[in-house]
Amino acid sequence: MTVAIVLLTLLVGAWLLAVIEAWLTTGRLRPVAPLLAGLSHLGRESILARKPDRLFFETAPVLLLVVAVLGAAVLPLTPDLVIADLATGALFLNAVLAYVLVSLIMAGWGPNGAYAMIGGWRFLGQLIAYSMLIVMPITATAMRAESLLNSVIVESQAGLWNIVYQPLGFVLFFIAAMALAFRSPFDLPTAPGELAGGVDAEYTGVRLTVLRLARLVMLITLSAATTVFFLGGWQGPLLPPWAWSLIKTLAVAVSMLLVGYYLPRIREADLLGWCWKFGIPLALLNILIVGLLILVVP
Amino acid sequence: MMTEVATTLAGARKGRPSILRRWVGQALARNLSCLVVPGPEVALAHGLNLAAADMRIAATPRDATVLLVVGELSQKLDEATAVLYAQMPRPRAILVLGGSEPSSLPKADVSADLSQTELMEAATRLQRLLAEDAFAASPDDFDSSILQTKTEYVCPMHPEVVEDEPGSCPKCGMDLVAREAGGDADAGEHDHSGHGHGDHDHGDHDHGSSGFMSMVEVTKDLPRSADGLAMDWLEVPFGPCFPGLPGGLRLTLTLDGDGVTEGQATSLVAMGTPSEEVAVETFIERLAAATPLAPVSYRLLACRAIEQAAGLEPDPAVERGRAAALERERIASHLGWLAQLGRQLSFVWLTRRAAALQLETQRADGEQLVVLRPALQALIARLEHTPLLKARLKGIGALPHGSQDLRGPVARASGRTEDARQADAMYCELGFELYIEGAGDAWARFRQRHVEIVTSLDLVEAAGDPELPKLRAIDSPSGTGEATVETPRGRSTLQLTLERGQVVSVELDGACRQHIGLAADLVEGQELGDALVAVGSLDLSPWEVSS
Repeated sequence: MTVAIVLLTLLVGAWLLAVIEAWLTTGRLRPVAPLLAGLSHLGRESILARKPDRLFFETAPVLLLVVAVLGAAVLPLTPDLVIADLATGALFLNAVLAYVLVSLIMAGWGPNGAYAMIGGWRFLGQLIAYSMLIVMPITATAMRAESLLNSVIVESQAGLWNIVYQPLGFVLFFIAAMALAFRSPFDLPTAPGELAGGVDAEYTGVRLTVLRLARLVMLITLSAATTVFFLGGWQGPLLPPWAWSLIKTLAVAVSMLLVGYYLPRIREADLLGWCWKFGIPLALLNILIVGLLILVVP
Repeated sequence: MMTEVATTLAGARKGRPSILRRWVGQALARNLSCLVVPGPEVALAHGLNLAAADMRIAATPRDATVLLVVGELSQKLDEATAVLYAQMPRPRAILVLGGSEPSSLPKADVSADLSQTELMEAATRLQRLLAEDAFAASPDDFDSSILQTKTEYVCPMHPEVVEDEPGSCPKCGMDLVAREAGGDADAGEHDHSGHGHGDHDHGDHDHGSSGFMSMVEVTKDLPRSADGLAMDWLEVPFGPCFPGLPGGLRLTLTLDGDGVTEGQATSLVAMGTPSEEVAVETFIERLAAATPLAPVSYRLLACRAIEQAAGLEPDPAVERGRAAALERERIASHLGWLAQLGRQLSFVWLTRRAAALQLETQRADGEQLVVLRPALQALIARLEHTPLLKARLKGIGALPHGSQDLRGPVARASGRTEDARQADAMYCELGFELYIEGAGDAWARFRQRHVEIVTSLDLVEAAGDPELPKLRAIDSPSGTGEATVETPRGRSTLQLTLERGQVVSVELDGACRQHIGLAADLVEGQELGDALVAVGSLDLSPWEVSS
């Protein structure tokens, strides 16, 4: 039952985000547009590139979808609504997200095309730059909760949400989450204007449908993670817990879309440089500050 | 030309009609994504609003249902378009607007004139066609000779042994290995034109080669790049319909990882020299049609040259209206460049805003332009303070000192006082003042164009209503004439000779003639993204290049 509810929530969320994204790019609010787009992709030819690495090519979109769903599985929507509240939930999420990279490398290598391959390698090049900024802010939230259980991390924010308690960590995590979901302005692996779609470039038909769905679910999972770690999860007045989870997750996802809408793509060298030179030191500073706060404030 | 509609869809997908397939067809019809040939910027310059016709611009052929051909295609672009079409998944459709049907493609499903109303109508017809005929029991094959590739057989040990048929090497007796012919320039060009998706092997070692591949072994004889790492070098074509570059331009980059070791830009739509005698009116129309990104400027250029050949003195009242039209086109052209920059950098807000303003500017008269001024200034003010944009452009694409014969905004952004408008008495009267940015990089060119938008607004305000250049009444004169116009991309000069009202010889110096050669210097040693931004910042118009 829980599994069904979570999967359904993910699907509805993906639909909602697709509607909002199309609204931003075309200026029209058309609720059926994502369904039509999905149906028309399903009806089109699934072209196989010449001399592909078939295994990689076929696996990549599915893997990305699996990663996104597995990530969502450890994030509690309410105290009870979570597929698996693992004792190592926060760590599990990190481990799962590492496979985004694997999926993109496979999508890049699989079709045997230059644009896709450069896209995949670009993402690999940024690996440590963004993944450290995922891991380290989560570490700081786990320190405060003194637990890796995601539900305990949410409960630890009962008095004060982490966005206020550790704003630096929130900012870093938010940016890194966008980079990990490769949304504009961090869409380096796809980059329509530079790589004509990059890792997406060769996918059509059913495979493209899965890939697009996976990217939307990935955005939801990362927004839900932001909610759990920094926005107090299901907590809030008046409304029931699930409503708060949904509202917060949606707000984070929409703000990610908006940031991408109003910004040009970042330079690859700048992203790498800034993450290493500023992001990682700041993330360490965040851990230090949180550590001091835990010691000093009772 | 009448709107022509086919009765069946040439690009239908194989399958017997069923209810589910009918739904798919209807979904496709309501979700039209177009690959625009030569490019979205050409559609915009023609005043076409694809969004209003419910069409979405696709970044790649793989993502497109409709191949939208805007205007006449050159022979080379025609062939490249066939490759793009072949890369589109079925069901697919062809829509040709204002131009003859491309010879390398199947017959167009819908063809219509080049106007927004025709586009809207054509879109509706296309939707009906897709909804009904997206699937057919036996669709036509598309098998153009352009798509053929030749297989040849080579000896792994003796590269000089190349045979047409499989067999063994005459020198060592080893079995010959099949390879796609692509060594000669011609075949290579066809093979990789368009997006070239999927056409590239990863260097010499393909997937599936057995055994351990040592990176040291594989790369030991390869040339070293600037960072000392040896990698496979790939020659990758960008264009002629690449989403981040002007349509009709092919940029061939040799990539070392994602660094560019060398590159070369060529135009597939360069202007040829007309060989036959034509009437003056026809000449003007042809020149304007051959320069879709700045038709008003070239129309003006032709009118002026012909009038000079006919011995007419400039009429100040006419010239004022013409100057206003030229400046309006400059504003629209610079906005078109901003929209293109937005597409290159996935900056959706900029693309939408600049394109909307461009369409409004093209239609505006003097008063409406005054009304548009606050919106244009707001756009500019906002762009100058957009985070990340400066980092993206600053220091990129700096032109080497002493670059020869720069023109237009590119020259002025490098600190040259180069502007044909300075020599024009009319412009002095209108209070024209030259603005010069000095740094010579992409950011300077970006700012230069901003200032020029405002300067042009001032000029239109001073000059009054824009008047499309029309040839003043002349008989059938003979003589030679020469005119120079500062087009949006720089100075262009036309010399022509008339004989009894016929244009007999023409020499045109297009605005981007020199700029296209700068691309090679700008991309060398750059990271791929920076190289594309550098080339984009030149605002090349591949039409305004003499072949």
